Amino acid sequence: MRVGIHRAGVVCAAGSGLSALRQALADPLFAPTRTLPRPDAPPLPAATCPEGEGKGVLPPLVARRLDRASRLLAVAARQALAVEDPLPWPPEAVGVAMGTWTAGTSPLLDILQAVFTHGPEQAPPMHFPNSVANAPASQLGILHRLAGPNLTFFEKQAGGLRAVVEAWRILRAGKAQAMVVGGVDEAQWLNAEAFHRLRALARDQRPGFTLGEGAVAMLLAADAPVALLGAGGAGSPCPSHLYPPTPTGLVAACRRALDEAGLGPEEVELVVSLANGNPHLAQLEASALSELFPLHRPAILGSLSQRLGEGAFASALRLLVAAAMLQEPWPVTWPVASPLQALGFPPLAPSDRPRTALVTAVAGGGSCLAAVLGRVAP
Amino acid sequence: MERVVITGVGLVTALGPDQATTWRRLLAGETGIRPLSLFPTEGYRARTAAQVEDGSLKLPPVAPQTLRHASRASRFALAAASEALAQAGLNPTPSVPWAVVFGGGAAGLFEAEPFVARRLRLGPKVRGVAEFVEVPQDAPTDRVAAAWGLCGERITVTTACSSSTIAIGLGAELIRQGRAEVVLAGGTDALCQLTFAGFNSLRAVDPERARPFDRRRQGLSIGEGAAVVVLEQARGAARRGARPLAEVLGLGVTNDAYHMTQPEPSGASWARTVRAALEDARVDPQDVGYINAHGTATEQNDPAECAAYQQVFGQRLTHIPISSVKGAVGHCLCAAGGIEAAITVLALVHQILPPTVGLEELDEACPIDAIPGQPRSKAVEVALSSSFAFGGNSAVLVLGRAS
Repeated sequence: MRVGIHRAGVVCAAGSGLSALRQALADPLFAPTRTLPRPDAPPLPAATCPEGEGKGVLPPLVARRLDRASRLLAVAARQALAVEDPLPWPPEAVGVAMGTWTAGTSPLLDILQAVFTHGPEQAPPMHFPNSVANAPASQLGILHRLAGPNLTFFEKQAGGLRAVVEAWRILRAGKAQAMVVGGVDEAQWLNAEAFHRLRALARDQRPGFTLGEGAVAMLLAADAPVALLGAGGAGSPCPSHLYPPTPTGLVAACRRALDEAGLGPEEVELVVSLANGNPHLAQLEASALSELFPLHRPAILGSLSQRLGEGAFASALRLLVAAAMLQEPWPVTWPVASPLQALGFPPLAPSDRPRTALVTAVAGGGSCLAAVLGRVAP
Repeated sequence: MERVVITGVGLVTALGPDQATTWRRLLAGETGIRPLSLFPTEGYRARTAAQVEDGSLKLPPVAPQTLRHASRASRFALAAASEALAQAGLNPTPSVPWAVVFGGGAAGLFEAEPFVARRLRLGPKVRGVAEFVEVPQDAPTDRVAAAWGLCGERITVTTACSSSTIAIGLGAELIRQGRAEVVLAGGTDALCQLTFAGFNSLRAVDPERARPFDRRRQGLSIGEGAAVVVLEQARGAARRGARPLAEVLGLGVTNDAYHMTQPEPSGASWARTVRAALEDARVDPQDVGYINAHGTATEQNDPAECAAYQQVFGQRLTHIPISSVKGAVGHCLCAAGGIEAAITVLALVHQILPPTVGLEELDEACPIDAIPGQPRSKAVEVALSSSFAFGGNSAVLVLGRAS
């Protein structure tokens, strides 16, 4: 069964909707220089979604009961579900699978702040249900009456891609007929400060990643114009806050994905780079891709996560952009990370319309994931 | 279809640091719920919880750096994984492509909370870095994979209180799909101020201790712990002469799309989960001999759960013993489903059904055989382990006696 992406919605630092994302990718100077305020300290840079909260999109009473991450996902999902509403499947046959790294942080912090500042029994009860990481996916299920399997995956940067892959397997096993899949994250000062203290954030002259936020919602079902052909995962053991020291896990994940897709490396026409500004990750990716593609150098789509911010949503966003590009050319002007350039991987030309794409993710702690997409012949 | 068996079980609960102690004390009707000592509880409506004794943990003999900055949740997971591997007779060599599939919970939040308190009170100058390392919910998954050098897939599913039930089912799917030969599956969760304050704020906690299905129940008791099971291809286990403890027959996962904290009261949605699980397992409802219930002891949960079973099993329901272990080990949140599945495996192995600790007077709204007081010997071939979670995520695991 060729399961793939039918429709999609997105909210990210580029704005709300696929057209805003497309415009940003076409702008070589696009760089959201937004900051995240934090108490008693200078703000930290973050790729936030100032207009993604759903004003004028979500009914006020709905928006009020959702936390920030749930609102972002609700907005993205409305884009993905709009045309299909009502969906052609019974509610019990439609599930949700989301990946997240940071959902629930704001309600969590609100509760702790109330307890630490005002004492026990002062925790706001309305906030507690949204402090669980599965709140956005569950709230989406409640909002749209989606009563199929509802899963949230927490795999740091790889969470969004994991959600897509596992939903794809659920659909292929016949346990649902459609799944709303993707990723969702909120940029929250405590998370940003934690990464800042771990010296992981890009700041001043220090290389690193930028914390992002956003939501990606894709409707996954059979008979789509772009199908997921294969997926693979592997691990490279390392401490939970570090990237793995070697590309072994990423190479293994890619090979498994290609094997399942029945494709050889020479048949991959596009690789969506996972580079996020962390120099070690860029080198890791370059080593993995040069091992995977010793002769043929597929085109590279670069820097999505570096400019739009890192998060679980970002790995889903990379898959979304790849899927869009398999259907129609998107003029992308953003550069490819230097280690890949040095190895001779070319950037995607504006007129290119690839037929296959490899999308990867590496999470801190060493979990690696890869998925292969292919355009389905009409 | 590839059959998947469980060859090892590891348990860490408030009743004990291992499978044997937990099982013995559970059958004796003891409870691990007592006054909480991890952090101050003055001012809370309920001040008890099922807390694990840290000093009793049996950690694996790994290099000291493997345990550096390890949270309590990770330590629980490491101890449970070590016990499960030992029972399975497995000693993984580094780089073996085994998978780890865990339910994610509060992870290292307990360790980070004092920093958050200091940061809010004193500003950005307060010191703190290591406290953050284990906050991500997949940190225990990474920690277990790193401790044994496992290079297979790693999945952390977070659906609140059904997380580790789903993790075990997904782990079995990994084996059926040929993505792994051996999977360590389960979950871990540790008490922290967030969950303690949160459930207190919802008025969902019994000030004394949880009494599932009891007429006078007032809510749950929060707990902590971990459960890890070793999942293997049945053929692989047989080839190496391992003794299967139970078989994973199927998993049902649905969402009631009703409310973030309350179950759909008619039980119809939960019944759909049970039916999905039985269908996945290709098991007839009349073959079910025991149900390990979610049984939180909240006002809403217990009647809705019993109504669901009534809809699936009809007249036969009163002949199916059903017990909840939450009066003994507490509601271990994201680890609850894994702990309950592990206890269900032990029930299948020993053919003894654990009692519902804390139940004295059955609520009329819960017309079931809830095994009050004493454990019960019964021949059981198929058992269910049932979980329900915030956000309407319910999951039911179907387990079979090892043949």
